[in-house]
Amino acid sequence: MKFVGESVNRVDGIKKVTGSLKYVDDLKMSRMLYAAVKRSEYPHAKLLKVDITKAEKLPGVKAVITGKDVPNRVGLYLEDKTFLANDKVRYRGEAIAAVAAETHEIAQEAIKLIEVEYEELPAVTNALEGIKSDAPLVHPDLGDYKWGPIFFPEPGTNISNLYKIRKGDIDKGFAEAEHVVENQFFVPHIQHSPIENHSVIAQMDPEEALTIWSSCQSPFAVQKALSVAFGLPQNKIRVISPAVGGGFGGKAGTTLEGIVIPLAMRVKGRPVKLTYGREDEFINSFVRQGMHATIKTGINSDGKIVAVKNTFVWDGGAYTEYGVNIVRAGGYSSTGPYDIPNVWTDSVCVYTNHPVGGPYRGFGMSEIHFAIEQNMDILAEMLGITPIEVRRINGLRPGGSNATGQIVEVCGLQDCLEDVVDKLGWEREEKKPSSKPNIYIGRGISCGFKAPSMPNNVASSAIIRINEDGTCQLLVSAQDIGQGSDTTLTQIASEVLTIPPDKITIKTGDTDYTPYEWQTVASRITYCAGNAVVKACQDAKDQLFELAQIKLGVPKEKLILADEYIVAKGNENKKVPIKELALGLSMEDGSGIHGPIIGRGSFIPPDVKNTDKTTGQGEKPTAFWTYGCQGAEIEVDIETGKIKVKKVASSFDVGKIINPKLIEGQVEGGILQGLGSAILEELILENGIVKNPNFVDYKIPTADDMPEMIISFVENPEETGPFGARGVAEPCMVPTAPAIANALYDALGIRVNSLPITAEKVLKAIKEKQ
Amino acid sequence: MKDFLYYKPKTIEEACEILTRYNGEASILNGGTDVIVRIHDGLNHPKALVDIKGISGLKTISFSKEDGLVLGACANMNAVINHKDILENYQIIAEAAHTVGSCQVRNRATIIGNITNASPLADTATPLLALDAVVEVFGVEGPREISINDFFVFVRRTSLKVGDVVTAVKVPYYKELKGSYQKHSRRDAVDLATVCASVLMVDGEIKIALGSVAPTPIRCRKAEDFLRGKKLTEELIKEATHRALEEVSPISDVRATKEYREEIARVLVSRGLRDLMG
Repeated sequence: MKFVGESVNRVDGIKKVTGSLKYVDDLKMSRMLYAAVKRSEYPHAKLLKVDITKAEKLPGVKAVITGKDVPNRVGLYLEDKTFLANDKVRYRGEAIAAVAAETHEIAQEAIKLIEVEYEELPAVTNALEGIKSDAPLVHPDLGDYKWGPIFFPEPGTNISNLYKIRKGDIDKGFAEAEHVVENQFFVPHIQHSPIENHSVIAQMDPEEALTIWSSCQSPFAVQKALSVAFGLPQNKIRVISPAVGGGFGGKAGTTLEGIVIPLAMRVKGRPVKLTYGREDEFINSFVRQGMHATIKTGINSDGKIVAVKNTFVWDGGAYTEYGVNIVRAGGYSSTGPYDIPNVWTDSVCVYTNHPVGGPYRGFGMSEIHFAIEQNMDILAEMLGITPIEVRRINGLRPGGSNATGQIVEVCGLQDCLEDVVDKLGWEREEKKPSSKPNIYIGRGISCGFKAPSMPNNVASSAIIRINEDGTCQLLVSAQDIGQGSDTTLTQIASEVLTIPPDKITIKTGDTDYTPYEWQTVASRITYCAGNAVVKACQDAKDQLFELAQIKLGVPKEKLILADEYIVAKGNENKKVPIKELALGLSMEDGSGIHGPIIGRGSFIPPDVKNTDKTTGQGEKPTAFWTYGCQGAEIEVDIETGKIKVKKVASSFDVGKIINPKLIEGQVEGGILQGLGSAILEELILENGIVKNPNFVDYKIPTADDMPEMIISFVENPEETGPFGARGVAEPCMVPTAPAIANALYDALGIRVNSLPITAEKVLKAIKEKQ
Repeated sequence: MKDFLYYKPKTIEEACEILTRYNGEASILNGGTDVIVRIHDGLNHPKALVDIKGISGLKTISFSKEDGLVLGACANMNAVINHKDILENYQIIAEAAHTVGSCQVRNRATIIGNITNASPLADTATPLLALDAVVEVFGVEGPREISINDFFVFVRRTSLKVGDVVTAVKVPYYKELKGSYQKHSRRDAVDLATVCASVLMVDGEIKIALGSVAPTPIRCRKAEDFLRGKKLTEELIKEATHRALEEVSPISDVRATKEYREEIARVLVSRGLRDLMG
């Protein structure tokens, strides 16, 4: 292959490095208004009164809205939210009213003039408390809501989804197991912390057509949600996502657009802008859900796990329109990448009065693997085998079966495990002794896997247009949110058409002009949008061949593309440049046929089917699985408890590397994000209040925290993937935190069962052990 | 709204006059890395900001063996970190300044701003305490000096009066200066100190100052007195550390618990003393 597999430079690189790329907040429009939001002061309260009269009278204020103006319930998987609170607030920070004014300052001032009377309600601030029968109800009307058929809310409780796996015979499994142990783990809420804060501008023209500029991962999902919420036809809603400065899931689905649109509808013709502050990012955009895990395992002395019983209780926050699917993913992936015959899992999504849980790189996998992978090490130690051995014994192989009972066909897990073990040399070399008495060295390993957690039938499409000079415009609505999709999709088009990447311009993110893409989420873009691009280019190729066979007098079956020419196989003198046919074929008599070449490609992952409602068992529950392994070497200061991650080796089975430089960068980012979640990051919640909504007290890693990284890949092709590729964007973060946790145990024989593994927790554990 | 009047006086007298006129409702604007953040967060509401960067001479850093080091009020942290005389004679000040914020912040932030902000965890406070620095002040009655040991009064409170402008901080010259600044923070770069410590040997005497363990940065006098005139041994270090811990009274907050801060203070003091042994 000529273009796929090459380290092509980022096609969006120069714009980003020079700062010339315009993000939404950079856009200034004439007569633009500024929005501000009145937010709840309580985690859970009835709204007795929302009085906007004073705010409306403030000079410069052009529109004020409350929940009454946006009564329609919306949600991606479960319609449980309104864009502004109605009747009651369910988390501290929830939007109650919004203002559009001539300046940002006037908007802020107007917000202060909005009078709200609350009647405080008892709050649910712990998911384990929330599932008790006497807990206050966050959504008493849950039974009236609409939800997708693959979700299982329990009206009358705080449970918005109870996803079950029942594989084999769990009781028999435990009865026959030689050893049974139970362990518990906790993962707190964290935040994506993208560089670019959420920002949106909305403008409604006099004909009631709405244009939205939004820093969003999924323009079409936004279009659909707004259409439902505001009763507008989709052809009247244009969503443009000019650029996204980091998403990590936080800009998936619909976020702040719903607050701005009703304002724009009241000030027709005038654009209204809302940009979140950093505090909003921490409190009022999606956060990663907290999760309590209990894992009971039955294992035999030979190291084979025979039964596992998992209870994952997720702190979904005030609205779980998106979170219910994270919980589902946590359920169907609940064994981790291990082949276990008897499985019982309850994955429970619980409403709490916490910030709204939502998609975050990993989509539940980082959370469950923190528990699963430490549990594996505990089992290994109990049996006196190594952490590597226990994974060799139980890790999935082709022909094995996962939690859903699916027989996996392609599975490079064991290859990745051996790759990491080899790269780190752990089975060849003993740990080097520490040079300082207070520094202890630890090595830890973790496997991981992830599937794209999306509805079975989500669609992608692409259009390729060939210009007269042989260059192309590639149109998709897959968004480059930093992962590099603009470049890899261009490379894929180049490979099919033999037109080099610098002759292809990719355009994304404009629902009026770029074709449908469900969402840029789920590590699905290379696979799904990539397939659509392949099909679009094949379609263009097919049209070119139709014309070329007339031109060259060679049947199309005998034509190939080579270096921007259509060439007769075996007779390379018979050829025509692609550009000559770009606008159709000109005949010798001066007439023409066909017209411009426009290739179109549509794709839905093939044969993905629902699992059984009661057992969670199924033939093919996901489009594919991405498997991998990471190993970490750390230093721990036993006097302060501080961990320094020195080295991380990573190996993932990605099917086919499209761009070596970009994929390496993506894995580096995943490791660093995993490291942050391992030792630094936590949204500290007290009685429903976020105590650290700023970078002063919410720390993410800096360049200084970067360990040495040894990054490699395994390439077992994905049969249905473009050139055999599958996604790795999220999976590469999943094993990092548990590998670090396991390294801590290796260093000191202590386990910290909750994230983050702060210096303070480590020191406490050291003292408790002494 | 965050309205305030902005003044940029050309003389120290004028600055003092404006500040006096506002009777406590004006703040000095120097690097702005604390003042602006506090205004933005709604913690301070000054009616006026008095920018002292237009006053000539305040950016100067000078050094002589006779007068010691004079750090002008407007000299920024990066200027301090890279100053030859400071690196040669007061390396600990450069070390501490280097841990403040990010490089960008250090282009704005000043040592004088750091101490007048009077946060208990101010990075540059403990070296100045341990070095018995003197704060040069211009006030209503003209210039005067305040010992750094009398400067910090409580959390975010100093002994400065209305109208006072700190013009410089002076650090005496010492023939022998050994020891280092230690900062324990959640993250190594761009973080606030969970606990910080300056443990020094200054002309034969040991000086210990700690930050983030009390309402102000503190000197551990009991430990210093105990060690005076003694040659350091492991036994003495243990006892001195114990005495230093008697002088701390940390709080619990989102960064750490009281108990952890005590533990880290213990570690930093004993590590600092052990380094002086070698």
